[in-house]
Amino acid sequence: MKRMTGRPVPLLALICVFAGLYAGTAAATDSANTELLQRGQYLATAGDCVACHTAPGGKPFAGGLPVPTPIGTIIATNITPSKTAGIGNYTEQQFSDALRRGIRADGKRLYPAMPYTAYAQISDDDVQALYAWFMHGVSPVDTAPTPTRLPFPFNIRLSMAAWNLLFLDSKPFTPDPGKSAEWNRGAYLVRGLEHCSTCHTPRNLLMAEQSSHALAGGEVGTWHAPNITSDANSGIGGWSASDLVAYMKLGHAAGRAQAAGPMAEAVDNSLQHLTATDLQAIATYLKTVPAQHDPADTRAVDTWGAASNELDSLRGVALPSDPNKMSGAQLYDAYCASCHQDSGQGSFDGGLPSLFHNTATGRTHTNNLVMVILDGIDWPADGSGVHMPGFAQTLSDQQVATLGSYLLKHYGNPAAVISADQVKSLRAGGAPSHLVLLARLALIVVLLVLVAIIAMFMRRRRREAIQAEHD
Amino acid sequence: MSEQLSADIVVIGSGIVGSLAARRLALQGASVLILEAGPRLDRGRVVAAFRNSPIKGNWMSPYPPSPWAPHPIYVPKDNGYLKQAGPYPYPAEYIRAVGGTTWHWAAMAWRLVPNDVRIKSLYGVGVDWPMSYEELDPWYQEAEELIGVAGAPDTGSPRNQPFPMEPVAEPWSMRRFRERLAPAYAVVANTVARNSRSYGGRPACVGNNSCQPICPVNAQYLGINAVEAAEVAGAKVVPNAVVYRIEHDAKGRIAAVHYYDPDKGTHRVTGKTFILAANGIESPKLLLLSASDKYPNGLANSSDMVGRHLMDHPSTSITFYADEELWLGRGPQSPSSINTLRDGAFRSEHAPYRLDFTNISQVLSVTQDLIKEGVYGTEFDKQLRWRAAHQVSVKNVLEVLPDPDNRITLSSEKDAMGIPKPEAHYSIGDYTRRAAEVSKADFARIAELMGGTGLRYSAEGNFANNQHITGTMSMGNDPKSSVVDGFGRTHDHENLFICSTGVMPTAATMNSTLTGIALALRTAGHILPKPANAHAAVSNAEREASLS
Amino acid sequence: MTNELEDVMASHDVPADPSRRRLLAGLLTAYTASLIPWALAQPAPHADRGAFTALSAILVGRQALDATQTARLYDALVADDAHFPADVQTLLTLINQRQIDPQQLQNVLDTEHSPLAKLPRKIVGAWYLGVVGSDEAARCIVYETALNAVVVADVLKPPTYAYGTYASWANKPI
Repeated sequence: MKRMTGRPVPLLALICVFAGLYAGTAAATDSANTELLQRGQYLATAGDCVACHTAPGGKPFAGGLPVPTPIGTIIATNITPSKTAGIGNYTEQQFSDALRRGIRADGKRLYPAMPYTAYAQISDDDVQALYAWFMHGVSPVDTAPTPTRLPFPFNIRLSMAAWNLLFLDSKPFTPDPGKSAEWNRGAYLVRGLEHCSTCHTPRNLLMAEQSSHALAGGEVGTWHAPNITSDANSGIGGWSASDLVAYMKLGHAAGRAQAAGPMAEAVDNSLQHLTATDLQAIATYLKTVPAQHDPADTRAVDTWGAASNELDSLRGVALPSDPNKMSGAQLYDAYCASCHQDSGQGSFDGGLPSLFHNTATGRTHTNNLVMVILDGIDWPADGSGVHMPGFAQTLSDQQVATLGSYLLKHYGNPAAVISADQVKSLRAGGAPSHLVLLARLALIVVLLVLVAIIAMFMRRRRREAIQAEHD
Repeated sequence: MSEQLSADIVVIGSGIVGSLAARRLALQGASVLILEAGPRLDRGRVVAAFRNSPIKGNWMSPYPPSPWAPHPIYVPKDNGYLKQAGPYPYPAEYIRAVGGTTWHWAAMAWRLVPNDVRIKSLYGVGVDWPMSYEELDPWYQEAEELIGVAGAPDTGSPRNQPFPMEPVAEPWSMRRFRERLAPAYAVVANTVARNSRSYGGRPACVGNNSCQPICPVNAQYLGINAVEAAEVAGAKVVPNAVVYRIEHDAKGRIAAVHYYDPDKGTHRVTGKTFILAANGIESPKLLLLSASDKYPNGLANSSDMVGRHLMDHPSTSITFYADEELWLGRGPQSPSSINTLRDGAFRSEHAPYRLDFTNISQVLSVTQDLIKEGVYGTEFDKQLRWRAAHQVSVKNVLEVLPDPDNRITLSSEKDAMGIPKPEAHYSIGDYTRRAAEVSKADFARIAELMGGTGLRYSAEGNFANNQHITGTMSMGNDPKSSVVDGFGRTHDHENLFICSTGVMPTAATMNSTLTGIALALRTAGHILPKPANAHAAVSNAEREASLS
Repeated sequence: MTNELEDVMASHDVPADPSRRRLLAGLLTAYTASLIPWALAQPAPHADRGAFTALSAILVGRQALDATQTARLYDALVADDAHFPADVQTLLTLINQRQIDPQQLQNVLDTEHSPLAKLPRKIVGAWYLGVVGSDEAARCIVYETALNAVVVADVLKPPTYAYGTYASWANKPI
């Protein structure tokens, strides 16, 4: 996964910039503006704008990060207030349209890699705060990243208009009066700024979220964004609110799960910076999301496995000279046990996690387990936190498959499988998408339908005309 | 004969020193080929081999020598590779494999103290270096940023830039030493190539306490990391390439090197510039092996200094039981030391030294002691726990002076490839022995301050070796008394450079690796100077990388 | 490797196999049996293994030994030295007849220049270091569950196993 090295500009610096721009206004206005800016920055953090709009090692919000999607690579744009390369000329209305309707200032459509279907839920007040911050809190950067070039038909941005017609619900969030203020705050954040569904809700053939399966788990490139509904086995139904808060704040919930891949980035960039109140609200809401059950999860995904080992097969036995012939136990001994301990129990302090009672091994979706073995975990970006080395350069596809199967058998869901082909595919960046081909085929169908409709319409006109003659 | 290999720069030896020089040159755009006699190893398999080893106290045990590139093994029995001519044994240990001997180092990454390079002028002993400490400072800094060094400021080695990392968290045992020895002794964190946070894409230490023979988690920088960095920079590594001859042309320039593959097929590698980086024993061996009609004493040896001035760091020690539970073995193996005796007017009389505390788990050694003592029954567990909790050990790290009679020569015996084995001629001089005597008072005082009982000094006249092979290809300004100049260029061959701890003219009191790297980077910088601003750019990129 | 030691003392309700009981009973007087009160119930496949278990229990001062580990060490010791089973029987009988305190055992054997003087170290080395055989024939049969690791497991991990997260070693150990 791409890692973010850019950090948001420190708040104090922003306030100074802002204060400078507005020098001379009344103190009361100053403090109101400061409050607005602070809120804007907080909301931008909650929205995790930086994740896509900052390239590794690049300036914050200057864009340039290539976001691989099933329809091609989309290059994130510069959203600094630069008047030449960014959004410095946007009015608040234009900003709002881009954010909530997916329409740029020039009227062209954004691709839904920008989660405007979620951001559509953002309130007018919050849009105002975000606008203020992006205009006055972010340092302008006058360099534009290379524009996105997608294959036909997706290079026709207007195609997104039809998509929006089908899939965009452009009404802002409406609180449910029957629920608590906390629940409503959580729902607002989850559905809106945090755009959880962007990854965690499965998508249909046209890459739109399947609202009937909200938060039931989706695919994000080579990673699986798991089920986070209230289902006791497949989702987070068995988690306490404090487990959820710990996960979002620290990136791990002891004895349950750790954030890795894109989720580690979401925690790094966004979730860990939210207030305790907001995290609690998110937890409260998530606990009520309708359960989506996967029948494969015959018990809670964080309750599989137990401490066990095959040390007797290791000691006193030389390793095979062919690395691909190493047993799962031998691979575990060589590459995993040094941290996770001989029986998968992790360290006494829990910091080096146990591999049993861990969603990493408890799911039948095994891509994440493979991805973590290949890429490791390293976050946050300042190096102060969790670092599991990746083994992509060390282990072969066969070794990862053998090792993964050992982990599942001893510590996870024994029904789950990992194959060498799966590892090979994930190592190469995931299965190729057929969406471009599908879209081209779909376009032909649409054209044929259009021709038919026009033909029908013409016939009807003719019939009406004939009828009129008879009237 | 296979395909003809050729490169701008040919490096012989893939240890941490040669590989980091190779990396720097490859980044400068040169084509770089690294020839390594030994095989490529895999960290995980080394870890597994150690766990399966019946002789875990011997750190060579997970590194069996390959038949075509043997290295010295002493346990369970001497494989007879490094011949001993005496009078004092020199049981050097090193690893011939891709990445070299730092596969199993303690990651001590010390700088010299400034006076180390002027002991002839200041104290009338040894020799002066052909450079000042200040000249070395930026190269030390570059080395420290590359390999990720964590250290404390107060160890006697000044610096212009901060350490890349904070010192590694102090184990409880070392904290107690620090607290109880103050103010008589200042116990400070060691300067180590061990991560105190995520750095260079490698994790922070998690206290596996097996730094030697293998850091299982890549928290400690090893030669293999340097090899990988060189490869990323574009260098190519040829493993199992046993160089047996360096060939010169009529003008005395090096034209090629010749190596055997494991089947003794011969290969010739040409290049423009050659760097010999095969450690302080194998490098002089190779120079001596390459004797020709024009250079009957071997290459780079018009001074007859190749192989001479062999130095290391002998140690004596004390082991005792502290009066409180310290439980050595939690955290890294070598966390702390006393550095106040590394320099002083006394250097005209006796060697300076560091005093080094071990944090190696005592469980193995006390188990062996109890078995030897014939303790059986329930008493065994009781004794084992008590001793493992209380037993501690302190050693000195003594300077030895360069002595031309301490040397590496070619043995009349040959290895399996038919290449003469190296032979060590070694003795420990009075200068060093006097310091060992002086340090006994420190041992006694430390034991007293720790409420020590069961004091066991290492046997009189017995010195442990520290595998810091230095001096055998000393640098100096005078071609009559040294092998290379201040930039590592051999006096005799314009395009042959040496990157090795073997070029250090004196051994001082610190583990030699960091100085070896700094000198090698300086040599690389001399071979291909960087444009004025490139240095900073690369360092910045690496700092970025270390943050990501 | 089974993780739990088979503590036979804790399972009095499990009836012991009377034939196995007899096999060992013949070897032991009340004295040695008092050192290893569980041994009569130890399910040993034959007398030799039972004698090894009993002698091990005396030498390493334990009421219970892991059955799998016992079998693995025993097999390795026999493979290393074909006389091992007979030597074990002899030494156990000697301890039994003369009621030798384990703490005095080595001294007694050394003083009497007994041909069995090396045997206790061999057995204790196998249990505490997990190593069987000497010099080039030495093999590591057990590491993580060797008794010298087990005895300190509440404070130390066997080298190569992480102690804990970074800096966890800075605290007082116990």
